[in-house]
Amino acid sequence: MRFNAAVALAACLVPAAAIFEDDAYHIDFHHALLGLPKHDATFFQKPYAASKASLLYTISENHTIGVINPKDGALVWRQAPSPNANGKGLLRSGEEQDTVISAIGDGITAWSASDGRIVWEARMDGAVVEDLEILEQEDGITNAEAKDAIVLLSEGSQGVKRLDGKTGRVKWSYQDTSGDSPFQVSTSPTTIYYISLHTPLLGGSKLKVTSLSPITGKKIDQYTLNSDSEIQDHEHILFAGANTAAPLLAWTDKTNKVLKVNIIGTKAISTFNVPSKDAVEKIILHAPGRVNSLPHFLVEYQTKTGHSAEVYHVDLKKNIVSKAYSLPETAGKGIFTVSTSDANVYFTRITTEEIVVVSSVSHGILGRWTMKASPTLAGSYPVHGVSEVVVKSGSASAVRSAVLFSNGQWALVRNGELAWTRPEFLSGAVSAAWAELPEEETLAHELEVEGHQNVVSAYLHRIQRHIRDLEHFPAWLQNIPIRVLGNLISKSEESAIDEIQHDTFGFHKLVIVATKNGQLAALDVGSRGKVVWNIDLNQFSPETIFQGPSVKALRGYVEIRDNGFGGSLFINTTTGGLLSSRDIQVQPLVAPEGQNLVTFDLVNGDLKGFLGAQPSSEPVWNFNPPTGERIVSYTTRPIKDPVASIGTVLGDRRVLYKYLNPNLVLVTTVFDSARTASIYLLDSASGQLLHTVSHNDVDISRPIPSTISENWFSYSLTIDSTSSATSRGYQLVVAELFESSIPDDRGPLGASSNSSTLQPSEALGDVTKPFVRSQSYHVPEEISYMTVTQTKQGITSRELLVTLPASNSIVGIPRHVIDPRRPVGREPTPLEASEGLTKYVPFIPFDPKWHLNHKYEVVGVKEVIASESGLESTSLVFAYGLDIFGTRVAPSFTFDVLGKGFNKVQMLLTVVALFIGVLFVAPLVKRKQINALWTI
Amino acid sequence: MRTSLATLAYLASLTSAARFTLHIPANSLVNPSSLSSTTHATLHSSGAPIDAYLTRGNSFNFFNISAGSYLASVHCRDYAFEPLRLDVSVEEAIEGSGDKKEMIRAWQTFIGNEWDNKGESRGEGGNGLVIEARPVVKKYYYQERAGFSPLSFLKSPMILMALFSMVMIFGLPYLMENMDPETRAEFEEMQKSSPLAPSGENPAAKLQNFDLAGWMAGKTDSGPSSRGQSPAPSQSKKRG
Repeated sequence: MRFNAAVALAACLVPAAAIFEDDAYHIDFHHALLGLPKHDATFFQKPYAASKASLLYTISENHTIGVINPKDGALVWRQAPSPNANGKGLLRSGEEQDTVISAIGDGITAWSASDGRIVWEARMDGAVVEDLEILEQEDGITNAEAKDAIVLLSEGSQGVKRLDGKTGRVKWSYQDTSGDSPFQVSTSPTTIYYISLHTPLLGGSKLKVTSLSPITGKKIDQYTLNSDSEIQDHEHILFAGANTAAPLLAWTDKTNKVLKVNIIGTKAISTFNVPSKDAVEKIILHAPGRVNSLPHFLVEYQTKTGHSAEVYHVDLKKNIVSKAYSLPETAGKGIFTVSTSDANVYFTRITTEEIVVVSSVSHGILGRWTMKASPTLAGSYPVHGVSEVVVKSGSASAVRSAVLFSNGQWALVRNGELAWTRPEFLSGAVSAAWAELPEEETLAHELEVEGHQNVVSAYLHRIQRHIRDLEHFPAWLQNIPIRVLGNLISKSEESAIDEIQHDTFGFHKLVIVATKNGQLAALDVGSRGKVVWNIDLNQFSPETIFQGPSVKALRGYVEIRDNGFGGSLFINTTTGGLLSSRDIQVQPLVAPEGQNLVTFDLVNGDLKGFLGAQPSSEPVWNFNPPTGERIVSYTTRPIKDPVASIGTVLGDRRVLYKYLNPNLVLVTTVFDSARTASIYLLDSASGQLLHTVSHNDVDISRPIPSTISENWFSYSLTIDSTSSATSRGYQLVVAELFESSIPDDRGPLGASSNSSTLQPSEALGDVTKPFVRSQSYHVPEEISYMTVTQTKQGITSRELLVTLPASNSIVGIPRHVIDPRRPVGREPTPLEASEGLTKYVPFIPFDPKWHLNHKYEVVGVKEVIASESGLESTSLVFAYGLDIFGTRVAPSFTFDVLGKGFNKVQMLLTVVALFIGVLFVAPLVKRKQINALWTI
Repeated sequence: MRTSLATLAYLASLTSAARFTLHIPANSLVNPSSLSSTTHATLHSSGAPIDAYLTRGNSFNFFNISAGSYLASVHCRDYAFEPLRLDVSVEEAIEGSGDKKEMIRAWQTFIGNEWDNKGESRGEGGNGLVIEARPVVKKYYYQERAGFSPLSFLKSPMILMALFSMVMIFGLPYLMENMDPETRAEFEEMQKSSPLAPSGENPAAKLQNFDLAGWMAGKTDSGPSSRGQSPAPSQSKKRG
């Protein structure tokens, strides 16, 4: 108790346990993710015309625009203007421009290509941008200053608009009232082609091409192509224009048997038969995206077993499309990318084995590199990519390709070698859980075995275990010099990138992350979030379409549940292998003898408690909120929530006893029409209501996060401004539960030796309800999620972890700052001050030193999970959502481990100096003693 | 204010589309061109906040803002900005003319205070108003590690105590040695009469048995200590 008080005092004296500058970037990691990049909106581009190096631009499937440095895979900038907008995300860039233009939903934005600031914005209210192109040339003249954008809109105001490249103003607009579904725009130096699908009531669609004048936007010509026998759907159109030297229109039929190509502006259709004998699953057309490149293009055919390609040339004078050569079919998965250099066009073939570069003119191989195998890409194949090729004197000297692999890794392959990978699949994380490392698990298991045996066999078992452990002894002995030297010299390195094997402090814990579409990965939080293994759950249940699986960690394995399938999957934590339910002893939820298990769940808007592990028809208790209110969420105390002290020691050494009930449930409800939010504290065993509080003028459209731990709970609200509220902004409410309001009193239950959890207040009435003390504060930002740090024994003071979506950060608020016992309206008495209580102020500014993420910007955090480490002082924190972030926090400082500030060399020198001092002083003292004897 | 809020609420029902700009001026604290592109400003009134990102011109542009009272805050990784209160209303430019125009007013505001508690005005005007968003302070995320410095080492009470006792042990006898005999005799006399005079007895026990009242009353005999030992041998021993 005293130790606890000392720790609490230590925590109060110093403002906050912030991150040390030399610890930052070592104890924490951050994967700044984008999401899976889109093929048609990924490109290499120079950020400004005079730039030497190019950057890799992309827009991802969740509408995040990101720019990556192709050298090391680091994020240069990213923006997510409207992540929930419908429509497809488009990203285009003109040649030698310093802007990139994006279109998401109804918003078109030009971004500064080098730093991601907004250049201009345009909003097409009510419409959805269907296509976006840059007008590279106008009457054959390149406007170098700012190239205009051509947008195609659907819904609302269907038509084509030309936007000024400098300001985003609309120069002209062409309205289309025909009701055809718009498809794409394509530009040529002299004309803008607007392609739409004209669908009669019966049969397929006809392609309608309208040519517009780029200067006035007036319709010049219109014609339809007879494509109705093939095109049933948008998907059958393979390619349309996109700013090439030869604007093309290519489509195929339902069975992928025939390829039809039309040069936009002419009516002639060239028909080619698909070469492959096997059924072609997918046809992709790759054409260079530059106006002054050769009018050559490549058609890729993917079958179930292999892939092949054909290269076609377009004769612009005669308007003929002819096949030039074909690339032979190879087994396995592969992709093609197109790149240009001046007017030349190069195609790169990327397979799991090799990279081959060919010119569009002839089929001679310009360069060939073998792909070096890498564990991160094991078992995966390329999905799509972009390349840059350097050709010197007729042979390709270097090629780099940014390739998306099937396991969700976005990688840059430079001359066959893997330069970097980005685990983009993690951006869709929906559920995560801490898993115990199996070594610890086995030790715990063995100790359990010993505990259940009789003394002799347990002793023998123990001896055997120790003998088995001896095999690690030579290796350990060998490592000692390295470790000692490492400790003395390179202090910064070893603490971060230690391997799992010697994890002295328990910082290396695995987090199992499940993504929305059924990928499962294990990350080592101690090794800067390294992906230990990564599997696709679809291989275990091919029919399932995952809709956001949930992960639950059990001993040595994780259980995966999903709405898409009935049962659950069991995955080994170390290897990622599937375990059948026979391999493991699934511990069913069985209560010890003489006790009963009460489970509860949200059923039809009511919270119901059931006797037994499964929800039965007959609820034991039922909590239905008052009429008009609906339950938005409920939170419980963490299953593992150790409490070191059962009371709070006051300044005068008296004790306020904490109300510690393991079955607390906090239910949040809202009343939509009255704009109120209510908090109900329930006992989940009896279903009894322990405490209620209601708030008026709450913006119920905003999240109301809440958490509960130990004997306190907290929640956050947004104040609704439409009513005449006296203040604005966001509130944080903290409440603490005590057994009694009087110190040294345990309430009416204090004297009784036993009590019933099922009927706590049956005998004694309402007096058994806890005494609740609460305080609310203004906070400067909205809180989207909150949780509490966890440590092994619960001795360390806790920190409330809150996520702030507006400033992309995670803040740890020290517990003593939000202590509900802070004196209101007066200075604390000396006794209160000795407890560490400060005067109540209605506003808690988020001190930058509380930010766990310091300079990182953690975007889109959905949830934060905390876990104990091997040290009492330290709690491990992991956040997921769009980004992945992990760190460790020590709310009461690292009192049980030496920090980096401890200078080991200095300590050794001091010892040496003292020893030398002793050597000198010893003869002096001896002489003095002898002299003293002689003088008497 | 209740009534003015009511009028605001009434005005909110009218369609209005104000547009204005928050601009970060260059000042001694921050060069706004060096801010990261994730810097953004939010306007919050009800429902989801309205977001605007930093432009090349170091400003945040808001379009189509309907009438209401907003809390404007700038979120930046490196600097903290002052929060603003922005009221957008539709008013008649000249009373009775029926010609309605958007009016935007901006003040400082203080979080944790009443909404009516407005600070200094930060601008007032029609559409296209430019309001300054002022950075207040740089954010320091890191804790300084207390390094080793000799001065702080000397300041620590343990070291001070050790140094003091060192002076007492080594310095004092040396001083006594160098005193002229008269002063020394006087000093020794003084020490003898002092209640804490060193004698053969355990000083702690002596302290405990010290008769404070008697000493204050001017009692001069050697106190209750019965084991009267002459201080002289002990003194000579000390000098030896």
